[in-house]
Amino acid sequence: MEYVVETKNLTKQFGEQKAVSSLNVTIPRGEIYGFLGPNGSGKTTTIRMLLGLMKPTSGTIHVFHKDLKKDRIHILKRIGSLVENPSYYPHLTAYENLEVWRKILGVPKEKIHEVLQIVQLSEVTNKKVKGFSLGMKQRLGIAASLLNDPELLILDEPTNGLDPSGIIEIRNLMKQLASESGMTILISSHLLSEVEQIATRVGIISKGKMLFQDSMDKLRELSKPNIALRISDAKKALRFIVSKGIEADYRDDHIFIPNHSDEDVAELVQQLVYHNFLIYRVEGKKRSLEDIFLQITQEERLV
Amino acid sequence: MNKELLSSELLKIKRKGFWLLTVLGPFGVVALQMMNYAYRKEYLLKQSTNDWEYYILNVSGFTPFALVLGMVILTSFLTSIENETNTWKKLISLPVSKASVYITKFTLLASLLFLSSVLLMLFTLLYGIFLDFNGEILHVTLFQYSFYPYFASLPVLALQLWISTVSKNQAVPITIGVIGVILVLTNSYSPFPDWIIWKWPSLMNQWDKPIINVVLGIIVGCLIYIVGMLDFIRRDVK
Repeated sequence: MEYVVETKNLTKQFGEQKAVSSLNVTIPRGEIYGFLGPNGSGKTTTIRMLLGLMKPTSGTIHVFHKDLKKDRIHILKRIGSLVENPSYYPHLTAYENLEVWRKILGVPKEKIHEVLQIVQLSEVTNKKVKGFSLGMKQRLGIAASLLNDPELLILDEPTNGLDPSGIIEIRNLMKQLASESGMTILISSHLLSEVEQIATRVGIISKGKMLFQDSMDKLRELSKPNIALRISDAKKALRFIVSKGIEADYRDDHIFIPNHSDEDVAELVQQLVYHNFLIYRVEGKKRSLEDIFLQITQEERLV
Repeated sequence: MNKELLSSELLKIKRKGFWLLTVLGPFGVVALQMMNYAYRKEYLLKQSTNDWEYYILNVSGFTPFALVLGMVILTSFLTSIENETNTWKKLISLPVSKASVYITKFTLLASLLFLSSVLLMLFTLLYGIFLDFNGEILHVTLFQYSFYPYFASLPVLALQLWISTVSKNQAVPITIGVIGVILVLTNSYSPFPDWIIWKWPSLMNQWDKPIINVVLGIIVGCLIYIVGMLDFIRRDVK
């Protein structure tokens, strides 16, 4: 597989504390990579290292098959980025802000109107950014990151502080960019739900360590449904089920058993009925991805 | 340094009063002499036999103060533009080297202050002509007192830029700047030892040769510039 970004044992240490430790991030071309983790897990530090803003304590970073240490400027020409809070010059207009970056990137002036159009800020082209709402500033930041038609777009918490409609807007924009121009996108977030619908690949990080990195489909597989039973005299029923050698637990008035084949479930229900338990409900209950995400990151916290 | 980077820096200082300060500084220095000569021209003319020389010396009395104050203010203004919403991280994640970012900032500041020195010479000359002194215009002296302080104070500029760009807390460069301005002011009453860089813009030294301050200013200015730039490159971006 062709990786646009590949880090090996990437580590960043601040004093005694390891903010990022032995991270192996791999992002294949054309994917939308959801980089997930709780606040303070090392996402931003990793992204800063990918952009050459911070030097790794150890480990290597390859972007477009080139060593970031040696070819930083060549690599950055092909990257667009938005790191944490939007960066802008409040005393300049939206157009002038983009012009500042455009000059450095050396792209034609028409690009400015084009990217303002994409993020729907054309109407405020000549207004000072000082008066913009947070959502508009964030969109201006995204516009700036698109100026050089990047092959790799790196967005650190782009939906932070946005209202729901703003979040949806940015989500649609990401989808559109990925499908129309084949851009590879790295998008970090502390909420799985934010990237769930667009990410094709996920990396989950906590305390600087990668806990899960695979396709979104693999993560979904982890959320296979459980069978939930609501039965009269639940405690006795639970003992009965466990005595049959079936894994089960009781919470919220329901008895949960792992997913089984239809035959097994039918057999169990039959047994329960035979032993005079009253069965009110038999349901397939899906664990939400959010639950899995929480579980993955919390297991690490307990260790 | 590249042209594009400098032109983007010029765009950033729009509406921030940089140009106004650049003009106001030298104008203020000459304006003080306007008041001085307007009130007691007869008395001042009696103080020396060479009117032009005496006038230029009077003007130059405030030049070091204005110059160093200008350096502190412009440097802190310039870095505050990037610090305000931390645009450093955006700037450095663009395809530019950190060295070229640093040299562009320095070049911009040095150019604005050089322009101030040119204006200082111009204002001094114009008001001098207006005063209609006896004797010839001292072009060489005028040139020396307009540009020597500029070169002699380059170490202060390099130091202020270094501290402003690497300090997380902007109180640090401002405090050092204010102390520097105070040193420049007190130096005119009781001169400091020659090694103190804030003494150099006054063009005083134990050998009475102003050119020494100019040469030292350029050499030490370059050294502090290089150290500052290397430190800026070495550090992680804020």
